[in-house]
Amino acid sequence: MSETAVEARETRKVYGQGAAAVTALGGVSLAIRKGEFFTLLGPSGCGKTTLLKLIAGFESPTAGQILLHGSDITFDPPNTRPVNTVFQSYALFPHLTVAENIGFGPKMQGRPKAEIAETVKRMLALVRMEQMADRKPGQLSGGQQQRVALARALAPAPKVLLLDEPLSALDLKLRKEMQIELKRLQVETGITFIFVTHDQEEALTMSDRIGVMQAGRLLQVGDPRAIYTRPANRFVASFIGESNFLHGTLRGNEMTLDAGPVLPVEKGDNAPAAGPVTAAIRPEQIRIAAGGGIPAKVRDTVYFGTDTHCVATLSDGTEITVRLQSPVSGDVGLHPGSDVHLRFEPGALIVLPEET
Amino acid sequence: MSAPDDPKARDEARRGWLLSAPALVLLVVGASGPLLIMLVYSFLEPGQYGNVEWALSFKAWFNVVMTRDIFDGTLGFADAHLTIFWRSAKLALLTTLFAFLVGFPTAWFIATRSPGARTAFLFLITIPFWTNLLIRTFAINQIIRNEGFLNTFLLWTGIIDAPIVMLYTDFAVFVGMTYVYLPLMVLPLFAAIDRFDMRLLQAGYDLYASRWQLLRHVIVPVVKPGIIAGSILVFIPALGAYVTPRILGGGRNMMIGNFIELQFGQGRNWPLGAALSVVLLVVVTIALIVYTRFAAGSQDKSHG
Repeated sequence: MSETAVEARETRKVYGQGAAAVTALGGVSLAIRKGEFFTLLGPSGCGKTTLLKLIAGFESPTAGQILLHGSDITFDPPNTRPVNTVFQSYALFPHLTVAENIGFGPKMQGRPKAEIAETVKRMLALVRMEQMADRKPGQLSGGQQQRVALARALAPAPKVLLLDEPLSALDLKLRKEMQIELKRLQVETGITFIFVTHDQEEALTMSDRIGVMQAGRLLQVGDPRAIYTRPANRFVASFIGESNFLHGTLRGNEMTLDAGPVLPVEKGDNAPAAGPVTAAIRPEQIRIAAGGGIPAKVRDTVYFGTDTHCVATLSDGTEITVRLQSPVSGDVGLHPGSDVHLRFEPGALIVLPEET
Repeated sequence: MSAPDDPKARDEARRGWLLSAPALVLLVVGASGPLLIMLVYSFLEPGQYGNVEWALSFKAWFNVVMTRDIFDGTLGFADAHLTIFWRSAKLALLTTLFAFLVGFPTAWFIATRSPGARTAFLFLITIPFWTNLLIRTFAINQIIRNEGFLNTFLLWTGIIDAPIVMLYTDFAVFVGMTYVYLPLMVLPLFAAIDRFDMRLLQAGYDLYASRWQLLRHVIVPVVKPGIIAGSILVFIPALGAYVTPRILGGGRNMMIGNFIELQFGQGRNWPLGAALSVVLLVVVTIALIVYTRFAAGSQDKSHG
């Protein structure tokens, strides 16, 4: 286990008091490793931005601790923490040029002028904005502003860089470019990145590890593959990627579906040993076969370009989505009402823990 | 930004220009006209009972800088004019500075309130405008005169044992003008601070700036247009102030406005009054050009 960059210990944040109190963060414990690209993923209002603000120092926790490289920084003001933030709105200084924006942090730290100039030059090169050094933020496009915001936050060489949904204001193409750019910057600088997003695809493609949050709780922490293939519960399974949920009764390593068939299953973490359970399976893990597997009836097909989604119903009415690769020409040859059989590899069906 | 190439858009732009006609008429008749008359009068002979004699004369302009001794008739530099002018400039600058020091926190406070409270506070700021300037100035007179509220209170508490003479001093004029012109500073400052993106403070705070550095390197430069507007709105009327120095400064501590009035009144020297007015106008104009250049220059040096 490598060293810990940021650690949250039983961190709680409650806004308001008494009856109006809202718990934004309900006792989260988390250790983020040095030099990793860690993503806090969850829907809006899940507490991910609150956790980020606690690490940045803009808010103080109601209870619990925040540690940076082992030392307690829980109540340190933001301007003493070697942690910088890339804001969702970028918050570039409109009266300063790109170069002056980037030099702001080192200047406030009281670094010598020559060093600041050198840092600014290096940062401009890092985000490929050398040509724009003398422009004002108002003269830049969204993507360029984003780069400046990144360079500005990286210039003081923070121990940890916090990114608060920095890509949400960009259009799709630019967002993809910046995803690659961000990953490159993280690898080049070796700085610990803590990235907040509600975009699961963004999280999967960029992160070393992901923490999935919901309603102020940390549901699961793991690398993208683990999060995707072995979701800890129904929320994670449906929030990250798509999932089909099957209900049945578990006995040993076999599950009798409510719809009839008996299937081999893989037990997820904290899955019950036996009894009524829910199991999840990804749409792309299912194949359509002529025989064997689970009998189903095609309800509809939806064309998505590279994929075609086929929605089929089991005998008990459960809807299952199957993701098929679209053929070169014609359609997938499935028509509403036709009978099909759904098959998948053993291990694709994951038994989830009981909902609490 | 580019010139409208569409003929329709051009027509619309032209029609829009017509809308400014009333303003233009008002400017020509109401501002340029009187200024022109002042300029012409400054080159005429004074009439015996005020007004002017229509004869070309440079005496008024001569008298702005030189003075003839009334006893022996020798020529001397009109240092009294300079003294009055210097006092006016000093008081106006002090007033502007102090109005800024008081007005900035006030405007900041108002701009950071909830929308409802903000409206209420702005309303309070504008209330003094409802009362006649003369009455408000006399009210200050009541507070600071020797038997006024302030001295009575201080005597009663025993902090002082003789009233502090405040009325009819430069200090009284300064206090009065600061009070009168403060709203003119607060309102443009409020408008600028209201537009200020508070997230910039978070960004600056995150980038190791102390509170003082945030003020100096982020807030002041960004709200600078408001500071410039407020300073101009306070400085110009303060420099030419008439009522306040008259009531609170007594006859002794004249400001340029009172001195000009004197020429048109008891002095019966309209041309000199006109010439002094033109001098005041020119000085203010130069000061403003220098000030705005200086203030804007430090902000836009990157474009130079």
